[in-house]
Amino acid sequence: MFKKVLIANRGEIAVRIIKACQELGIHTVAIYSDADLNAPHVLLADEAVNLGDPTPIESYLNIPKIIKIAQEKKADAIHPGYGFLAENPDFAETCNKAGIKFIGPSPEVISLMGDKIAAKKAMEAAGVPVIPGYHGTDQDNESLVKHGKKIGFPLLVKAAAGGGGKGMRIVKTESQLLESIESAKRESKSSFGNDTVFLEKYLEKPRHIEFQILADEYGNVIHLFERECSIQRRHQKIIEESPSPVMTPELREQMGRAAVTAAQKVGYTNAGTVEFMVDGFLNYYFMEMNTRLQVEHPITEMTTGVDLAKWQLRIASGEQLTLKQEDIFQRGHAMECRIYAEDPKNGFLPSVGTILKLEEPTGPNIRVDSGILADNHVSPYYDPMLSKLITYAENRTECINKMTWALSHYVILGVTSNITFLKEVFNNHEFEKGNTTTHFIDNYFKEWTITKKTLPVDALISLAVYDSLHSKKEEIVRYKEADPHSPWKHVGRWRVSGGE
Amino acid sequence: MFINYEHENHVYKVTIERRQENFFVTYDNTEYRVSVDEIQQGHLKITIGDRIIKSIVTEGDKEKFVFIDGSVFKVKPVELTGRTKKRKKEAGEHDLDSPISGKVIQVKVKKGDKVKTGDIILVIEAMKMEYLIRAPFNGLITKVNFKEKDQIEIGQKTVEISKK
Repeated sequence: MFKKVLIANRGEIAVRIIKACQELGIHTVAIYSDADLNAPHVLLADEAVNLGDPTPIESYLNIPKIIKIAQEKKADAIHPGYGFLAENPDFAETCNKAGIKFIGPSPEVISLMGDKIAAKKAMEAAGVPVIPGYHGTDQDNESLVKHGKKIGFPLLVKAAAGGGGKGMRIVKTESQLLESIESAKRESKSSFGNDTVFLEKYLEKPRHIEFQILADEYGNVIHLFERECSIQRRHQKIIEESPSPVMTPELREQMGRAAVTAAQKVGYTNAGTVEFMVDGFLNYYFMEMNTRLQVEHPITEMTTGVDLAKWQLRIASGEQLTLKQEDIFQRGHAMECRIYAEDPKNGFLPSVGTILKLEEPTGPNIRVDSGILADNHVSPYYDPMLSKLITYAENRTECINKMTWALSHYVILGVTSNITFLKEVFNNHEFEKGNTTTHFIDNYFKEWTITKKTLPVDALISLAVYDSLHSKKEEIVRYKEADPHSPWKHVGRWRVSGGE
Repeated sequence: MFINYEHENHVYKVTIERRQENFFVTYDNTEYRVSVDEIQQGHLKITIGDRIIKSIVTEGDKEKFVFIDGSVFKVKPVELTGRTKKRKKEAGEHDLDSPISGKVIQVKVKKGDKVKTGDIILVIEAMKMEYLIRAPFNGLITKVNFKEKDQIEIGQKTVEISKK
């Protein structure tokens, strides 16, 4: 096992990994930018090294700086977490060259899976179903129309360089095809400077369902069942659950096997996730493979009892995967939601500020993976995710009830969070029924804003009592003989006569 | 004491008074007799009749936050009705007006004095209470309108300060 691991990340995931290391008796080195001086990962790690300038490119993305620190501190491995350098093949390569173990798959596998088209081709060759489509180089309209007809309708025209729905068209009938290809190309050209488009079968009632896998360096691969992550806003997952409400034992068996095959075919090592789209008829298609520990990994840990972060460390240090597929069971129901510092009232823009008060919900089967402490300043430099709230219960309904309770007891004052929004999603009737498709937020929350609440009288009483108890002595009114009708009752600049 | 809270552009006027073990909170012509247990700083357990509410209150630089029933409310305390907005516009000019009628018992500045934000300028007494007029900004005293023992009326300007 490693003696010392550097964690090349911040926030809750750095905390999660440090804890896993410390449980295994591994010495930890945290890195932090000037914006994260008092961050929890800095306080928790055995050692912490300052990176200076908080700009990501100068801190958590700065490969030479991080490698240098790892060498100086004699770390024998680097855990990249997720985001930042986690799926950067150059970083993995640089680590290897420096003689530091990169905790994740090989640079070659990261590269292959990073190329979405090459990844799909590799999967198709491995016999894993992919979404029927055309991703070729024949980009003249005539060829594209021909390929489109072969795929069938409805289909999706997507900009190769696209993102955020730009250069994307849903084509319902053949008659709209040419026109949609042309307009998608125009939009893509003007937005991304590149008019290459792809064609793909359009899925009805699509769900995002992914499978967690673990692979050691000796060819042993297992899966740890599925996670459904269909509740997304602007392609950002906000709520994940396991098991998926739509899953059947047969489908789970098939998809699990496909995920394991996919990992084996590409020589995958360490923890990874195979993402699929599942349509309303329960057809499943490979989407992409994430070569890292996912944000939503805790729900798999809750339902299987397997510690994924610790297995990452064990596998990377050369241990064999002693878990057998037949020993892995899925039990109960787990959900996770992401607590973001963003203001639902203000278009979900990130909110910054100081955390004045922080109280995390606790209780049986409530887990908070948090990246903040009271008095921390939430800076504009990084992802606005503050923490993840995870609940586990015997079944889905009880899991939702527990989540609603936990959200209602999560106190974050000083920085606006999305907790109110999350509570409404959990209380949505269609969500309760498990009708969760990737269109869920657009269908039910597109025009959503916080209903303008008047200040409840209980809040007013609380404020007044607080102010009465905490007003500065010099400035508070005191009555020797209380007179409730006296007009001389201002908070503010009063002091008792004869003072000074 | 009178306290006004601004929330979502609405001003809520509340009075609170402490009498022995109880607080009397008046809002919207209703008086609530409440007893309070502050379990730790800002954590309140408030009994209103046979009802118990639990809330958490904290304050930032400009706002106060209340957590109650799983919801967070952000409010701004307003000292006197209708004055906050004006004051914002006139950068503290109104802070030099007397908010009460009473007697000037102390004048701490004279013409030509330099003052800093928060310096005490004048002390007014009314109903056995003293009221402090403080400099709302840094500046130079250009005129002092009252001397000690003068009677002062509500709204009268105490001194004039030119901003530097």
